[in-house]
Amino acid sequence: MSVAILTDITKCIGCLECVSACKTVNNLGTDVPRVWQKNDGLSAQNWTSVLQKPGNHYIRKQCRHCLEPACASVCPVGALQKTPEGPVIYDSERCLGCRYCMMACPYGIPRYDWDQVVPYIRKCIMCYDRLQRGQQPACTEVCPQKATIFGERDELLAEAHHRIKQEPDTYIHKVWGEHEVGGTSVLYISDIDLGFLAYQPNPGATPLPATTRLAMKAVPFAFVGMGGRCMESTGLFDDG
Amino acid sequence: MNNRVRITKLILWSIVGFAGAVGITRFLFGLGATTNLTDATPWGIWIGFDVMAGVALAAGGFVITAIFYIFKREEFHSFVRPAVLTAFLGYLAVVFGLLFDLGLPWNIWHMMIYWNPHSPLFEVGWCVMLYTTVLLLEFSPVPLEETSRYARIRRILMKFRFPLVLLGIMLSTLHQSSLGSLFLIMPFKLHPLWYSHILPLLFFISAVALGLMMIAYESLVSHWLFRRKPETNLVEKLAKAAVWVLSIYFIVKMADIWLSGEWHLMFDGSWESYLFILEMLISTVIPIILFSIKKVRTSTAGQWVGSSMVVFGMIFNRINVGGLTMLRATGDTYVPSWMEITISLGVVSAACLAFLFAIERFHIWKEKPQDPEWEPYTPPVFDHTSEVWLGTPPLAARTKYTLVLLLSFALGFALIPSHKIESKGVEIVPVQKARGGDTLFIDGNHDEYGVLFAHTQHIDSLGQKQSCDKCHHMNMPMDKATGCWECHRYMYSPTDAFNHDWHADAHGGNIACTQCHPKGKERQAETAKKCDDCHLDLLPSDNPIKVENYTAPPYVTAMHELCVSCHKKKAEELSDKKNLALCTTCHQSAPPKYLKAEISKHLSGPYFNHVVIPGVNLKQEKEQLHKNE
Repeated sequence: MSVAILTDITKCIGCLECVSACKTVNNLGTDVPRVWQKNDGLSAQNWTSVLQKPGNHYIRKQCRHCLEPACASVCPVGALQKTPEGPVIYDSERCLGCRYCMMACPYGIPRYDWDQVVPYIRKCIMCYDRLQRGQQPACTEVCPQKATIFGERDELLAEAHHRIKQEPDTYIHKVWGEHEVGGTSVLYISDIDLGFLAYQPNPGATPLPATTRLAMKAVPFAFVGMGGRCMESTGLFDDG
Repeated sequence: MNNRVRITKLILWSIVGFAGAVGITRFLFGLGATTNLTDATPWGIWIGFDVMAGVALAAGGFVITAIFYIFKREEFHSFVRPAVLTAFLGYLAVVFGLLFDLGLPWNIWHMMIYWNPHSPLFEVGWCVMLYTTVLLLEFSPVPLEETSRYARIRRILMKFRFPLVLLGIMLSTLHQSSLGSLFLIMPFKLHPLWYSHILPLLFFISAVALGLMMIAYESLVSHWLFRRKPETNLVEKLAKAAVWVLSIYFIVKMADIWLSGEWHLMFDGSWESYLFILEMLISTVIPIILFSIKKVRTSTAGQWVGSSMVVFGMIFNRINVGGLTMLRATGDTYVPSWMEITISLGVVSAACLAFLFAIERFHIWKEKPQDPEWEPYTPPVFDHTSEVWLGTPPLAARTKYTLVLLLSFALGFALIPSHKIESKGVEIVPVQKARGGDTLFIDGNHDEYGVLFAHTQHIDSLGQKQSCDKCHHMNMPMDKATGCWECHRYMYSPTDAFNHDWHADAHGGNIACTQCHPKGKERQAETAKKCDDCHLDLLPSDNPIKVENYTAPPYVTAMHELCVSCHKKKAEELSDKKNLALCTTCHQSAPPKYLKAEISKHLSGPYFNHVVIPGVNLKQEKEQLHKNE
């Protein structure tokens, strides 16, 4: 079983309690807008942010903790890993700073300590240490509106569909994160379209690691094949 | 004497010195201070050019060994050593350049112990590591022939020559294509004209074509440099082969675009479409046409034009795939900083210098070209009678190169912009006046997202008129309630509240120094007169906020410290009013009823139309209020 977070956009009032709690729990520094930040509020010091959209819509942005994360599949040293519990966590001891995870993420989530001489990748880890102590993530715990809730992924999906069924006129009939890029552990239901959270509004249901898997599978064949082809041309096989 | 070599070396050494200064800065102050990379564009020119193009440019090594050892084309013998040397230096340059780009370059060896075989980068890393070793072993017999001491090692290496060549070709096939696989994971970011499921195949074919042309180009350049007769016949054969490979590349690429139904994107008038057409023309179409004509193929000028088009066209291609064509998807505007470009050029220049060094010392060609500045080095001797070292110091033989290196090194340091390093990339957001009447809407950057502040209510609860200085802790001369924004002038960076120029002018220009700075002491802020020595009413007597060095902290910090610390204290005093200290109490999307009424009462006149409070339609509120009354 894996855990997940469900955020109901219709309930969020944009109070930023989640952002504040995240900062406290993860010992993040003061948030200062830097020239290298993308204008979505996320930064090395801000692992979750609240975007404001016209008409009092507040959308909390955070790592989606994909079921098959692109970042973890491309990390050459396995510094990013998908845990069986659900969160995608980061091991700074292993990281070599290639930033391939930042390039690969379809949601543009991982951030970098650009101003540090010893920089690390920064992103939400779903308060993994709190989960292990049996607590829930700080953001879901403090939410005064219960707009973002924590639980088992299956139960939250059921809850999401239940809410949509209850108020079909309010919600768009879609759970963001149910199938996107193979499913994510952070789900959204909303009354406005959330396509802007990803680089492509409809990223499809294929997990991104599948795109490189075929090429990576071909590697040993290409290696042996090329060697064989070369030996053949030199006439090494003709002797027999 | 050959001036071409001398001038080239002078230029190369100056670039290396310049880049050396920038390189040191990069490691002292980090990536943010030296590059224009952002969270949306984490890979810049160091990956696009140094790594992607660098590896492709070094493809000559495996192409020539394949031609010579596998396809047994003995006539290309004279190309083998230069091409293997170029490849070896190319890979060294790639690895060296990568050290600048990696955030934690000292962890680069982690790839050896922490494995993630799913990652294309893991495979590229291993292949580059192994292939660089293979190239070292392939090349090392050349310097080893200089001395008979290592003859045995050389013999062993020569024995393993063929397996090494074979391994080199196999490894190259893998990572040349895997560099393309790196980008398969970015279907949403990479422009569809460049994104393709057969990127690895395209990368491999283009690497072969580029390898052929790189051998030709390198031969042309080095022969021009040392005033030798160009190897026109052999280059012509390479050009002929390149036509075939480039044609295959062209057909595969066009077929791929046709089959994926992206044909129309080539002519949709976006900048990417022009970029694509330009890239295809330079790297593929024009060279194919040029080299199909025998007259062009056999002329030195034609070879120059054709080979440099392929070389630069393919560099262009790697940069396009490596990040340039992702800018539309990421919405970013990345332009490499001059420091990034300098490092890239510096790494290439260092590789060129190493190439020239090798070509002058070892038998890369049949006869070694003579270095015009070359003098055999004799160690200095200590003379006991005069007690001085006699002889030339090691660098003196190359005085000009050393001088240029040091001068450009110093120039590099002088040109590094201190503001970029000091500001740590903080954006300067000027603070504006809080809006409203009695009820203030505090949002310093005017982004319509802020805090409502009931002025009268605060005065009432804090102790009437005497309470002003609890918040207005420092005032402008002749003022009793200076606005926060007048000293805390920037949202996120501190401001110097003291205006030096204004004071100097007001007291009579240059003669005014001694009015504040005591005579005979260094003129520093620490030794100068304190502000409240003259401005007696500047700091209210019992104010809780300490003023240090008259540096006003950032607006955000000041506001939070002032408001939150007070509210937290109040919340503890009044145990039933815990909400007082919650963020929601102030940062509201919809203010509570009484505050709405308050706003509607007090907001009038010029301020009214300027106030926007999230979630409140002020006009409606006001009308509603009037109706009720």
